[in-house]
Amino acid sequence: MSDAIEEKIKNYRTAPFDARFPNTNQTRNCFQNYLDFHRCNNALSAKGQDVSPCQWYQRVYKSLCPMSWVGKWDDQVADGSFPGRV
Amino acid sequence: MFRLLARQAKKNPGLIPQFFFISLGLGGASLYLVRLAVSPYVVWNKKNNPEPWSKLDPSYQYKFVAVTTDYKNLKKDGPDY
Repeated sequence: MSDAIEEKIKNYRTAPFDARFPNTNQTRNCFQNYLDFHRCNNALSAKGQDVSPCQWYQRVYKSLCPMSWVGKWDDQVADGSFPGRV
Repeated sequence: MFRLLARQAKKNPGLIPQFFFISLGLGGASLYLVRLAVSPYVVWNKKNNPEPWSKLDPSYQYKFVAVTTDYKNLKKDGPDY
């Protein structure tokens, strides 16, 4: 499983089409991948597994999200004031 | 009320297309509202179902017409956790 993910991460070009967010407004896509990245990190490190597969979500949200949003959310996560559920 | 409408339509048959188009418009608008309400993008119950779009199959098609996207072959991208 993680070999397939490593392959995908190595051959990454841009965020692929996500059927959950088919319209022009990709805000939710960006936020969902940001949440998924943090949830993946928390879940895998709680289980003691390697967190490198979670890099996929980070590549996707870095492709989609404006840098200012990512910076703001990272500060909020560091503060502990992030409004999403991670 | 429908009996009243039927009686009026029999007296003035020109009303029939009017009733037909009014009902078509109102019916279509309300059906579309229902489609929006039951779509997976609206959060009705924040406590029990906060993100209904995460429960979708990766080949789920929301749009009516799929011009270039091949929905049958889509798969889930990210790793499971």
